[in-house]
Amino acid sequence: MLSESARMSSAAEARFRVQAPNSMPRTIKVIALDGAAEAVVRRLAGGGWQHATFFTATTPPDALCDLAGRRTAVRDEVDAADLVVLVAGPGGHAHAAAAIGQACSLRRVMTTGFVVGVTSAPEHEVSSTLAQLRPWSLMIVIASHDEFIDDMMTALRA
Amino acid sequence: MLRNDQNDLLTQTGPGTPMGRMFRSYWIPALLADELPENDCPPVRVKLLSERLLAFRDTEGRYGLIDEFCAHRGVSLWFGRNEECGLRCVYHGWKYDVTGQCIEVPSEPDESGFSRKIKLQSYPLVERGGILWTYMGPPEAQPPLPEWEFITVPRSQTFTTKRVQETNWLQAMEGGIDSSHVSFLHRGDLNSDPLFKGAKGNQYNLNDARPVFEVVESAGGLHIGARRNAEAGHYYWRITQWVMPSFTMIPPRGNHAVHGHFWIPIDDENCWTWSYDYHPTRDLTHAELAAMRDGKGIHVKYVPGTFRPLANKDNDYLIDRAAQKAGRTFSGVEGIAMQDASLQESMGPIVDRTKENLVSTDNGIIMARHRLLRAVKALTDKGVVPPGVDAAHQKVRSAALVLPPDVPFTEGAREALIARPAVAPASV
Repeated sequence: MLSESARMSSAAEARFRVQAPNSMPRTIKVIALDGAAEAVVRRLAGGGWQHATFFTATTPPDALCDLAGRRTAVRDEVDAADLVVLVAGPGGHAHAAAAIGQACSLRRVMTTGFVVGVTSAPEHEVSSTLAQLRPWSLMIVIASHDEFIDDMMTALRA
Repeated sequence: MLRNDQNDLLTQTGPGTPMGRMFRSYWIPALLADELPENDCPPVRVKLLSERLLAFRDTEGRYGLIDEFCAHRGVSLWFGRNEECGLRCVYHGWKYDVTGQCIEVPSEPDESGFSRKIKLQSYPLVERGGILWTYMGPPEAQPPLPEWEFITVPRSQTFTTKRVQETNWLQAMEGGIDSSHVSFLHRGDLNSDPLFKGAKGNQYNLNDARPVFEVVESAGGLHIGARRNAEAGHYYWRITQWVMPSFTMIPPRGNHAVHGHFWIPIDDENCWTWSYDYHPTRDLTHAELAAMRDGKGIHVKYVPGTFRPLANKDNDYLIDRAAQKAGRTFSGVEGIAMQDASLQESMGPIVDRTKENLVSTDNGIIMARHRLLRAVKALTDKGVVPPGVDAAHQKVRSAALVLPPDVPFTEGAREALIARPAVAPASV
């Protein structure tokens, strides 16, 4: 006689897995922190995402702009977020990371830092951006292809 | 999550499939050299990438990996006689050499040349580091032999085992790059397993159960860095190597041996988990080897005479609820290898990735899938050789080290992540 584990892990038993939805939509805020990132985020925003909204950092750093140019408070956006994705290019222009990261930290919102455009960038420029992102990111991704961010968003059901 | 078509693409590795073509770009471990211990020893059935094959070692010590079945009536050549430089089918006496070439058909006159018209599919089989490696792709694209450090150090410095895992290769491999599970599933083992305990780095692990991750593409795959707090504002980094398609190297602990895995598809619902331990600069001790043979560390105890783990799905992995309750093990299953395998097998043979809910800390897995999908597409569309084939991609190491807070691990561990002969690993 088969053990419970043997029987239940068979392909045949997979048919009886509960099909009801097992998660609520998560709200993801994607924020471009500099010019290089803005181009990536604008392209990404055209992807028809259901649960993601897209912004650019601005000054003063407690505000954001949506892609139509409307201003909004960092605090309000973070309050509504399950995950904040901070996107920055090389060169250390991600100054807004601190203000946004602090807001996320206060509200215990998960952050992912994403460095784009690294393929042709000098290493010290990538490092300077990393130094800005690292204190405020609970996950950092450095991908040679910016399209990875699309796959990440899909994987996270954005 | 992955779409169904993406999941199928990555998990199907039989002949003619895109991922199967990718696996057939590499030298992959086929069996332990000890399984063919002497000339003319009994042949061994080997199933790889959904192809049933037979490995044998002929009278002159040459290795062969050929189609398991006789071309005459489809009889398994496992029953064959391994004699006089060939494997003879015991049904009607047809005989094959290590290349699969039929060299004798007793019922036909020698002069007819009939035997020369019969050839079984065969693949090269080469011994490196106590492992027999095969390449199952087109001969014209055969790459140089593998250069993984664990097979290039002296034999006294390395030890490898294999075990059957009853899942698709991808969900096994994804467990190997899922650094965030270690602080939970394996927490009971860091201070008790003889192949881990005593390292200073263990305390960093146990003191900080919420590491911060950085995932960085490397030439051959990924560097997955896990950052924990150390003294004086410094960070303790553990950097795992993943090299495409399915090689991983776990960061070392103290002066213990370095270890890692290969996950090689048997078919779409089973895979071989290869587990190696080696030290770049010293022999493994008798105590270490004894522990490895006893199933400690990343190795397992076996059902005697097989490569099936002693704790397996048929006996509910010998789960010990009292040990779980008492905290001796987190899951109740003993040993790191079976702690992983029991959970991965519980997902079913091929997990439905459309149902999963990944989170940000799963970016290592997300990135690995992304790289695999990209490489498969490049290979299929343009014939681009996938990452990991190049020997330079194989000469890598994992690392564990303490760095100042302003030093990226890619800089601080640059030298440590490259395999250099006679140089000790970076380990804490």
